[in-house]
Amino acid sequence: MTQATPGAPSGPTSDATEPAIAFDRVSFRYPGTEAPAVEGVTLRVEQGEFLGVLGPNGGGKSTLLKLVLGRLRPTEGSVRVLGRSPAEAVASGLVGVVAQKFGAELAFPISVRQCVELRSTARLAPWRRPDAKARGRTDRAMELVGVSDLSRRPIGRLSGGQLQRVLIARAISTGPSLLLLDEPTVGIDVEGQRRFADLLNTLRRELGLTIVLVSHDVRSIVAGCDRVACIARTVHSHTSPEGLTPAVLAEVFRHDVAGIFGEVHVDAHDAASCDDPSHTHDHGHAGEGRP
Amino acid sequence: MRTYDYLTDPSLGVQFSLGLLAAVAIALLCGVLSVLVVLKRLAFIGQGVSHAAFGGVGLAMVFGLASTEAGLGQELGMFFVVVAFCIASALGVAWLSREDSSRADTAIGVVLAGAMAIGFLLAAHAARRAQEAGELPPPSIETVLFGSFLTLGGADALIAWACCVLILGVLWLVRRPMLFASFDEEAAISAGLPVAKLRLLLLCLLAVAIVVTMRLAGVVLATALLILPGAVALRLSLRLWAVVGLAVAVSLVGTIGGVVLAFELDWQAGPSVAVALLAIFLVAEGVRAIRLR
Repeated sequence: MTQATPGAPSGPTSDATEPAIAFDRVSFRYPGTEAPAVEGVTLRVEQGEFLGVLGPNGGGKSTLLKLVLGRLRPTEGSVRVLGRSPAEAVASGLVGVVAQKFGAELAFPISVRQCVELRSTARLAPWRRPDAKARGRTDRAMELVGVSDLSRRPIGRLSGGQLQRVLIARAISTGPSLLLLDEPTVGIDVEGQRRFADLLNTLRRELGLTIVLVSHDVRSIVAGCDRVACIARTVHSHTSPEGLTPAVLAEVFRHDVAGIFGEVHVDAHDAASCDDPSHTHDHGHAGEGRP
Repeated sequence: MRTYDYLTDPSLGVQFSLGLLAAVAIALLCGVLSVLVVLKRLAFIGQGVSHAAFGGVGLAMVFGLASTEAGLGQELGMFFVVVAFCIASALGVAWLSREDSSRADTAIGVVLAGAMAIGFLLAAHAARRAQEAGELPPPSIETVLFGSFLTLGGADALIAWACCVLILGVLWLVRRPMLFASFDEEAAISAGLPVAKLRLLLLCLLAVAIVVTMRLAGVVLATALLILPGAVALRLSLRLWAVVGLAVAVSLVGTIGGVVLAFELDWQAGPSVAVALLAIFLVAEGVRAIRLR
């Protein structure tokens, strides 16, 4: 299922036939640690797809994102993003990301528009000003997330929801093909989550984005995504959101649950009730999601 | 008005003007840098690097580069020795805290104390040696610690302006990635920017700025110029260019005001400048408190 990117003609171009993300038997071990953070992950995300990545804390979700962004290099296997190396894809503005924690200082003296432009102008030659095309992309990004009227407001005078929309505008300001979201709805109420899902749908429709949303929260995953990958060190299953049965969840969150209730035994047959019955459920083994 | 008398005195006027020229360059430079120092929370590392400069001065004294009547060559030699010492200290702190930036705290403490101690021993050694050889004594430790306006001359003005143009020029070139990395480090890393290198660059620029500033304000008070203008500006505005402009204005007013204060009241330049800046800071803090009520 490939899809062109109709709404973002002015952004950097990507080959529409390449998968947005292709992990081939990827393992990564942090230096000085025994166990790998992710192991034997094979994952393919087609362009235009909306993938939810569900997993417990410490299950390797952030590592997965860092591998996509080229911040980490796999110890084994290979990662391709839109047909190129992750670093190339990121440098050419094809990948937008909204981080889990906003580590920035809110008293920072910049306006909403300046904040959105940080990403798209970061690689501009110092003597150049953003051209009409780039300014148009900034305008469009702010319009799509609904912060155009806040353009001149200092970043420190925004509500939490407004700030998040500004950060999304920043992530899509380079006209990317792929948008990564790390725990975007943590601490947001149900109504806020619904509005957020609507926003993602709008972005997907208007920009033809591929979206990967990572979370440990089941509710924020199901809203709107085509497919769910469950990860706890390795990718356990690929399934439609409806396939997230209690058994699958129990398997993925086994360690979290075990920490609270003691070891839980899951019937392997029950847990395999997703669209790919061929995978293994053993922790620590190369349980590839897809053959 | 002793300041006016000095300025119009045919023999002292030139010296005074050169000192003022150096002070203006220092104020400009520190005004802009102070915004980044406050935003990136580099105040303590700035303090560490400026104290490390004392070690560099001690070393320069031993090499005979820091006599009281130094020519341009000697001044430049001393400048490069101290700059090298400060950059090495800044990079040392960065290296010691490479895995965990919260460890910078301890690393700065170690470098600060170590460099101060070595500086004192070297300075004492150089002074004793000069006395035994019957040479001109090196500048007093007090001058190094608290700065002096009267010893600023043509060489200082030249070095100060060269550094001001160089550092502000480099900052202008990297302003966009630097701003991004200062505002949101995580996002800047994810955007593939060389955030660690930008931080090292900023530390090196800061080290050079400190060495220039310490001739006026001394090792102990150089950081006053590198913190207070930015702190004042950020209390008064949330607009980027307004903050930079305000910081430069505060820095100029505080520095020149401090120098005049020093002349009128026969105070030392470093503490006078620091006190002038502190007064502006307290007014700004008051303004903010009233606004927030």
